[in-house]
Amino acid sequence: MADKMDIDAANGEKEEGKIGPAPGLPTERVITNNFNLINQAVDSFDARFTLRALRSIATIRKAANFPEALAIGIRTAFPKPQNNARRVLEEMLPEGMRSSGGQQNGSGEANGGAVKEQDVVEIAEVWAYLGVLVQVYLFDHQEYQRGADFSSNFVDKIRSFNRRTMDPIGAKAYFYYALFHENLNPLPPSKQSPVIDIRPKLLAALRSAVIRKDDETQAAVTVLLLRNYISTADITQADLLIAQTQFPASAANNQVCRYLYYLGRIRAIQLAYTEAHANLESATRKSPTAGPAVGFYQQATKLLIVVELLMGDIPERSTFRQPSLESALHPYFKLVQAVRVGDLQAFLKCVHAFEQQFRSDGTYTLILRLRQNVIKTGVRMLSLSYSRISLRDICTRLHISSEESAEYITAKAIRDGVIEATLDHTHGHLITTPARDAYSTTEPSEAFHARIEALLGMRDECVMAMRYPMNKHRQEIAEAAKARERERELAKEIVEGDADADDGDEGGFEGM
Amino acid sequence: MAEHELKQIISQLEKPSNLQQAPKLLSRAKLGLLHLQALVPSSNTSPQHLLLATTVLEHGALLSIRLKDTEAFTRYYQQLQPFYSLPQGRWQRAGKPGNQSKVTGLYLLLLLSVGDYAGFHTVLEGLEMSSGKEQIEKDELIQYPVRLEQALMEGSYDKVWGETKGERVPSEEFAVFSEVLINTIRSEIASCSERAYPSLPISNAKNLLFLDSEGAVIQFAQARGWVAKDGRIYFPQQEAEMLAAEKDVMSSSNTVIENTLGYARKLETIV
Repeated sequence: MADKMDIDAANGEKEEGKIGPAPGLPTERVITNNFNLINQAVDSFDARFTLRALRSIATIRKAANFPEALAIGIRTAFPKPQNNARRVLEEMLPEGMRSSGGQQNGSGEANGGAVKEQDVVEIAEVWAYLGVLVQVYLFDHQEYQRGADFSSNFVDKIRSFNRRTMDPIGAKAYFYYALFHENLNPLPPSKQSPVIDIRPKLLAALRSAVIRKDDETQAAVTVLLLRNYISTADITQADLLIAQTQFPASAANNQVCRYLYYLGRIRAIQLAYTEAHANLESATRKSPTAGPAVGFYQQATKLLIVVELLMGDIPERSTFRQPSLESALHPYFKLVQAVRVGDLQAFLKCVHAFEQQFRSDGTYTLILRLRQNVIKTGVRMLSLSYSRISLRDICTRLHISSEESAEYITAKAIRDGVIEATLDHTHGHLITTPARDAYSTTEPSEAFHARIEALLGMRDECVMAMRYPMNKHRQEIAEAAKARERERELAKEIVEGDADADDGDEGGFEGM
Repeated sequence: MAEHELKQIISQLEKPSNLQQAPKLLSRAKLGLLHLQALVPSSNTSPQHLLLATTVLEHGALLSIRLKDTEAFTRYYQQLQPFYSLPQGRWQRAGKPGNQSKVTGLYLLLLLSVGDYAGFHTVLEGLEMSSGKEQIEKDELIQYPVRLEQALMEGSYDKVWGETKGERVPSEEFAVFSEVLINTIRSEIASCSERAYPSLPISNAKNLLFLDSEGAVIQFAQARGWVAKDGRIYFPQQEAEMLAAEKDVMSSSNTVIENTLGYARKLETIV
């Protein structure tokens, strides 16, 4: 799976390098070039061109002259200064850019641009694209309040368009819309945070996206809603949302990753560790492991490690050795070490030392639940090492307060299948029963079955994830028709040639 | 007028003798709240009305616990949530109502006693997020169910037993759950013992199960289907399970065949 993703990303970049703007191009040219891409997308009804235009946002926003370039872009798209759409966008830009540049540059640009870019002007997608750029600009300059106000109107407007070519841009717009509100005071954990007020709008967006079969927006908004609910710890609502909605199968890979991550998080809180583990594992495998998205990968891996520990598994050592994870996972590495040997003191010390870190990762409450796992592991280590051990010794080794507690704890461990042992109450001993031969049970075949199932599932997912160009079959039909034509010609020629050859052959035969 | 009547009802509710009439009084109080349009907080409900509504609902919650009506309690708890999540500014001089942690603690305990651990942790997660760790750690009424849950999960049943005894219980409403919890841990201990001990002397079983007399032990043993003879308890389930496990290997041949056929079919679709 991971390999496939890597190849996908590499291909995408190569493509971009080939067709997309050259790196040396000035930013305003990149923006105007993207207009053409979007036009192409609208004409050929192929969302891939739009995605390519959106992908270049990451490079555009880093450019030093981004605001100026954006202003030029807006003027190019809307040459008339009294255009309403243009005014709305320009209002968000810095004062100087608007007045001085608007007069001088606008006229100059209009002269050159009006002729060339006439066809660009009234396309809603271009306007929406510029709107997203304005959102990016406002976000980068931390003008959250203005950004939030602008975005509210912006997404309303976008929702009023019912155009499938608008979908990828709309999804982006909602993303920034939610992001702005998240950064407004009071910040999310508080119950008065503005994120709660945007829920109705997001839900409405989800509704219309589902009705319009707008997969992009549907996926993006579902993920945003989940994030929104989790940020204020409304786990029940998030759970209900998942139960009531269907995540579109054709969603972009990064939305799927996010969705799986949030799903895993919710399930972990609800103690459904197996499900959480499955979701988080796919999330980490699907997510890019390098580049700007590495933060997501780290976050998902952290959660995955905690869930694995809660399930009683020990994460693999190699996880912690990955260069992109090593330093981020250091606290978790210590934690795993403590759990692995079942040392309750070391565990408590570790939790105390890294509390701040765990808290900001949102794993703290989950880690507190690990306490019982540490004890269980401790009991298990003792049971493996000794064939017979007194309860008093268990108390001192595991730092349990009383012998009675130790007795109950070991009894529970036996019932939960952590250890194979019996208790001798009168003498206060724990007697380990010798391990049975695992191959006489059904366990190996079960493990085998689980692995085969996982692989088959992965294969099915791969097959489903394959993408085919939209109009390929039409091309094929055309090609087939052409080929048939050629064949017919060939056949005709052969027939004609045959006649000739026949003559010749016959002649030859006769000659022989 | 409605306000005045409400205040009267609240003062009546505060008298402990009125336990049986409480539901009637409460429905009258809720009607009063509806007249004031304060049953659900809106943006223009005055702080006085908010306080009235919360007081009525909190009384309702605590009284339904005393009447052991858990469904009603859950309803009151849900109704109280919008009030509790109001910003500090909305309460103004009226002051924030004081029973929030008590009601929340009781709700946590209720979830614990019915074994809804997922719900328990979900509520707890929400609490940590909204009111911060320090506040929760100081709050004895919330720490009580948290401690119980920890002890239950780790298996220190003697700690649970200790916590449910008289003086450790933070308030009388919490004591209602003690009985339920003791029954829960008793059945937990019983199922653990079935697996952990080959046999157990009756006198020891009495201590283990927190029962009062050996007679009670024998009664309990019979209820669970254990065999008590010669002063010891034997657990027949163990042997039965051993036999079942052996049979399992035999009966699993069906699943093995099924799986293998499944692999073959899948292979066919792949190749």
